[in-house]
Amino acid sequence: MPTPIKMPRLGESVAEGTIGNWLKNEGDWVERDESLAEIITDKINAELPSPVAGRLTKILVKVDETVPVGVDIALIEENADVSTSPPNEPAPGPDAAPIENPDRANVMVMENSGISDGNSSKASTRATSAHVEERQRISPLARRLAREHDIDLNAIAGTGIGGRVRKEDILAYVAQRQEAPAPVGAQFNAPSSPSLEPTYISPAPASVGAQFIAPPSPASTTAEDDGIEVITPSRMRLAIAEHMVRSKRTSPHATTVVEVDMTNIAKWLEKNKEDFKKREGYSISYVPFVMKAVCEGIRKFPFMNSSWTEDNKIILKKHINLGMAVATDAGLVVPTLYDADQYTLAGLAKQISTIAQRTRANKLTIQDLQGSTFVVNNPGTFGTILSVPIINQPHAGILSMDAVVKRPVVIEDDAIAVRYMMYLCLSFDHRILDGAGAGGFLQSVRTKLQSYGREIDVY
Amino acid sequence: MSAVTYLEAIGQAIREEMQRDEAVFLLGEDVGTYGGAFKVSLGLLEEFGSERVIDTPMAEAAIIGSAVGAALMGMRPIAEMQFIDFITCGFDQIINMANKMYWRSGMPVPMVIRGPSGGGVKGGPFHSASPEAWFFHAPGIKVVVPSTTYDAKGLLKTAIRDNNPVLYLEHKLLYRLPELREELPTEDYVVPIGKAIVRREGEDMTILTYGAMVHQCLKAAQTLEQEDDLLVEVIDLRSLSPLDRETILESVKHTNKVLIVHEDTLTGGIGAELSAILAEDLFEYLDGPITRVAAPDAPFPYAPPLEAAYLPSVEKILTAARKLAAY
Repeated sequence: MPTPIKMPRLGESVAEGTIGNWLKNEGDWVERDESLAEIITDKINAELPSPVAGRLTKILVKVDETVPVGVDIALIEENADVSTSPPNEPAPGPDAAPIENPDRANVMVMENSGISDGNSSKASTRATSAHVEERQRISPLARRLAREHDIDLNAIAGTGIGGRVRKEDILAYVAQRQEAPAPVGAQFNAPSSPSLEPTYISPAPASVGAQFIAPPSPASTTAEDDGIEVITPSRMRLAIAEHMVRSKRTSPHATTVVEVDMTNIAKWLEKNKEDFKKREGYSISYVPFVMKAVCEGIRKFPFMNSSWTEDNKIILKKHINLGMAVATDAGLVVPTLYDADQYTLAGLAKQISTIAQRTRANKLTIQDLQGSTFVVNNPGTFGTILSVPIINQPHAGILSMDAVVKRPVVIEDDAIAVRYMMYLCLSFDHRILDGAGAGGFLQSVRTKLQSYGREIDVY
Repeated sequence: MSAVTYLEAIGQAIREEMQRDEAVFLLGEDVGTYGGAFKVSLGLLEEFGSERVIDTPMAEAAIIGSAVGAALMGMRPIAEMQFIDFITCGFDQIINMANKMYWRSGMPVPMVIRGPSGGGVKGGPFHSASPEAWFFHAPGIKVVVPSTTYDAKGLLKTAIRDNNPVLYLEHKLLYRLPELREELPTEDYVVPIGKAIVRREGEDMTILTYGAMVHQCLKAAQTLEQEDDLLVEVIDLRSLSPLDRETILESVKHTNKVLIVHEDTLTGGIGAELSAILAEDLFEYLDGPITRVAAPDAPFPYAPPLEAAYLPSVEKILTAARKLAAY
């Protein structure tokens, strides 16, 4: 009996995925953990490793088609050449894979790194998918209900502690499925993902959603006679749009700005940047300095690193995981630099460089896109001098660093000097913080940045 | 007829059973002339005479041993422990004699051992015991724990009429609680052993409890409904041995989450056995971990602040219930 391969859940709030490309054709032999297909979602593109070895007998979802998480996308005949498997052996249930996979996947990763050194990206994809499956938490009751209702657990987002799937999640899914019996399109309109709840969608975005379903290719455009062109946004564009609207509606944004004298850092960079890159193999810029100062500021103003919850509590986060906004061709992504406060300036520079490379190479893992607690944004690279950022939910604030430019500045003794100046714009959630807290935080960041002398120890 | 206290209901049960059956008699320390340390047996000596209301020496082994002997000879003794803590002095007579007699000889041993148990009255380490787990573990003796005035009378009557040993644990904190005053039926009634009762219906979670903790749990359940919109079912076990598995399993099948609350210490307590039963029989019905709230594994403290910290409280129950609900 062929084993169905299901659309995996690539990320916490991801409800569906698109087949980017099939890496195997019907009839091909596939090894376990060999890449089957490229999957594209709102958040991440990844290769799907085959959970079993066997012959790919049927491709059920074509390239560029989008289906909800958990839908069968292909069939693989295990024992294709030895057809002695008991005919009524049940197909692996949703729980079979998670129990089996992690160990074997890890073995595969080790083997892989031993065999082909240059193939580390595949290995990380595998490790990630195994990791995701391992994280699936489910109560015994929910597991039984899912089996009775013939539900793929990967299709359900848990609402219990730690994302555990529990009774109400299954019952809600069943109720929703009954309301929307049409398999693909209808579920897509009412995804179980909390970030895309129908309540968010006012009339205008709903029509965007409808357009999104209609064309077969997400990139397709329609030329019109009356001089306009209707473009269907990419998945990423839609996700960004949804998040921005939600953020503005969720947090009352207030923005405050300080001006920072970056002269000493600028001069140090001018002098040492080239040597540093030659020596270390990666660049150093203003960003690690700002991140370092932000970490110290957060320690002094811990509410900068918190979230306001729906039930009106404030969650203070002990770990400082900085999101760094990275522009890509497709749009903006904000990968996470975990425990940023634990790094030296050089360490931060290295992390930033690694993450930026991974981002541009489209090699981000799910882990990279979770868990950030505060964002440092650097539009200054585009020459902007003043930016008012929108908070990355559910953070308490976001800091934009703008271009460092030479300005005539009044310094001590009323003299006018040419200094390297930069504006730092902080948008903060006014539910959590007031102007005093936000201003204090910015003040702390500025003081730190201006504290550097001519010689800077970045290690 | 006026409302009576939990304590008066126990006295009524003894009096009515002694009137009904000449074989029933009471023995214990200070039960006669003094009317009992808590005045449960006030007036019984005058009504029934010193042959049926017997003041004994301070020797629990002798009290229980005599009761076993009398029961074997066809009497129905009620052996009172002045405080249930001292039942340990008669442990051998219970475990090796009373419990095993019917099993090895076929001779019934119709006796009741009863006494004030539980804490919350600043009684310190020797006057606050909850000894149910020792006897719950031992085959051959039934264990009942009334939490209301109605049950106090009905369960004691059933215990006296039972043909084998019953340990009847009355909670001294409930003895004179004004809110437990109740008008009891004028006619004879009994409460069956082995039957739990649903004190409050709910669908989000089941609390299994007994004794004085029933009232703490009901308060917690009310708060959970008002503040958390949670409907919590509270089951008063009443009878620990035998357990009413049917009522317990039916409720948990419905609510899928269980909180067990008892005043006795945690390890090896009633909650441990309930957890095992639920895990074995209802694994696929559980939507969260079986959770227990109990006293810590330490001797009962004397200092009032320590006692307050030691006993399960409404706050502790609320914390555990909220955690379980969110699981």
